[in-house]
Amino acid sequence: MRNNHEELSGGRRIVLIVDDEEINRELLGAIIGAEFDVVFARDGGEALEIIRRRGASLSLVMLDLLMPGVHGAEVLRVMKEEDILAHLPVIVLTSETSSEVECLRLGASDFISKPYNMPEVILARVRRTIELYEDRSIIRGTERDPVTGLYNIEYFYRYAEQFELRHPDAVTDAAVVDINHFHLINERYGKAKGDAMLRRVGEKILAEVSPLKGMVCRRGSDTFLIYSPHGLDFGRIMENAASTVEGRDGGESAETVHLRMGVYACCDKDMDIERRFDRAKLAADTVRGSYRRRLAYYDESLHDREMYELSLIDDMPRALREGQFRVNYQPKYRISGDEPVLASAEALIRWEHPDMGMIPPGVFVPLFENNGMISSLDSYVWHEAAAQMMRWKRRYGFTVPVSVNVSRIDLYDPGLYGDLRAVLDESGADPSDLMLEVTESAYADDSDQIVRAVTALRDMGFKVEMDDFGSGYSSLSMLSILPVDILKMDMRFIQGGRGGERLLRLIIDIAGQLGIPAVAEGVETAQQVSLLKSLGCDIIQGYYFSKPVSADEFEGFIKERIKQC
Amino acid sequence: MLNTATLRAAGCDVDAGLARCVNNEALYIRLVNMALDDSNFSRLTDAVASGDLKAGFEAAHALKGVTANLSLTPLLTPITEITELLRHPEPDADCGALIEAITAARDKLLALRD
Repeated sequence: MRNNHEELSGGRRIVLIVDDEEINRELLGAIIGAEFDVVFARDGGEALEIIRRRGASLSLVMLDLLMPGVHGAEVLRVMKEEDILAHLPVIVLTSETSSEVECLRLGASDFISKPYNMPEVILARVRRTIELYEDRSIIRGTERDPVTGLYNIEYFYRYAEQFELRHPDAVTDAAVVDINHFHLINERYGKAKGDAMLRRVGEKILAEVSPLKGMVCRRGSDTFLIYSPHGLDFGRIMENAASTVEGRDGGESAETVHLRMGVYACCDKDMDIERRFDRAKLAADTVRGSYRRRLAYYDESLHDREMYELSLIDDMPRALREGQFRVNYQPKYRISGDEPVLASAEALIRWEHPDMGMIPPGVFVPLFENNGMISSLDSYVWHEAAAQMMRWKRRYGFTVPVSVNVSRIDLYDPGLYGDLRAVLDESGADPSDLMLEVTESAYADDSDQIVRAVTALRDMGFKVEMDDFGSGYSSLSMLSILPVDILKMDMRFIQGGRGGERLLRLIIDIAGQLGIPAVAEGVETAQQVSLLKSLGCDIIQGYYFSKPVSADEFEGFIKERIKQC
Repeated sequence: MLNTATLRAAGCDVDAGLARCVNNEALYIRLVNMALDDSNFSRLTDAVASGDLKAGFEAAHALKGVTANLSLTPLLTPITEITELLRHPEPDADCGALIEAITAARDKLLALRD
């Protein structure tokens, strides 16, 4: 806080004094001049001329109301109309208590009555008005998203919290609106068109939400959050917001833009504001990819799922400590010869929960990816798989290279290299026998960072597999700079028929061009095996050969392999 | 001689007026002299004489602000009264007596100059 005798920082401000009486001008000038530079106007017309000419260099207008010619009230009206009042405050000078309310209604910040108060009082009020305005304009500059003019997320949450404090009993709704495939719109039509679309959607939503005194912000690139007293017609908001986009005569963009919305109605007030939007988001995600349903409410079943997921998250650290996670192994076979031979294995995690039984990785892996716990789980698998590989080697004199998963957040973790080094040191494994699987979509995130991380891992001697190749968005130019040793494709993501076959051929060709092997996983039928073989794919993993099995059971494959020698 | 002592003796609240002039005595005396020569005095008299009560109100209102700021109490009292009278003029309002009182008070202060 500034005390009364301290001047505002950043140099002397300029104050415009408007009064038709020279005596009043001089008097006020003498008072204000102690701390501010002063310019004078003798009537409203002159005042407006100076305000327009000097623009933002003025910090305050002190305005007499009753003047011949253009009145003070008229000056205020023009300033309001031309949006000057938004950045230039006005203190009205008046001897009429009856006009004070009128002045404030017209947009004056304060008033000083005649006869004037003591100079110290006037100076303090001038100082405070300027300070408030300057602080407010700084806040305005930072609280808004520059693209849409809506609140940014931090201020949005803060204002929502303030609303809660002032209206603890209000029934409120939280909603999340996403634009489907917005990155594609940006890519196809350019950023300027993408931004224009965001603005239109934002405006439409705001227009619907404002009458109820709700608030809107933009989060991330293409998500809008709405927080409002209960009672909005969300279906109509969706329709209107989408229609501005889809109905525009932009032509080609018409059919590619869709919105989806999730609503958490009648929010639980014991819950953090941010968590309320997690619930709305959860609802929105249930309509992801659906063109028929675009609006969903958070309901009982989502609540149950959320509770289930939260309990899994709660149980995870203990499960890790108590060894509830098991590493299973699925064999990979080389099919280039007459008879398939065991080539390597993939380590796969499973969770044997003491109360809930076997929990499939499809359930818990995405959860732990979201909250970052996946890193400790990955690390557990690396240590366990490397140790197992070395146990087999000691027991059978045979090395089964094992591939393990490396999640994308691991690649951003500076501790990654130290941990993998520890894996090698503890187990004595050769890094070239450990294959690190990185999913293709990870490369889309921040390809520079991923390329650096993957390069570092290869420099340590590890083999890197690009997992789920063909399902992501790698560009051909990126492929040429990618440091990768193996391409892996998942047959479950490749549809049957001629189209699927063409895609397979293409992937296998790309691997050939890069001089690296292609591996197919998810292979289930003899037909698939012979097709892959004919296309030149050598290594195959899937139920056709075996499901993932425990380390003990896997020894059967090793023994068989040894017999083949 | 028009100075703070004679103004005080004439009934003005010199301390308050001076304070508004950040205790700058020369400024205060200069502004008092300007106030006594204010053209609004003749505007007020003429307007009332011709029955233009709106113009009369504006002149009175302006004088009220000035004399209040300088705390010229002997002038301020009748000027405040006539301002209120002219704000919502009634048909039988008699401004003549107030005009005389204002003129007398002004003349008394002007006489201090001699």
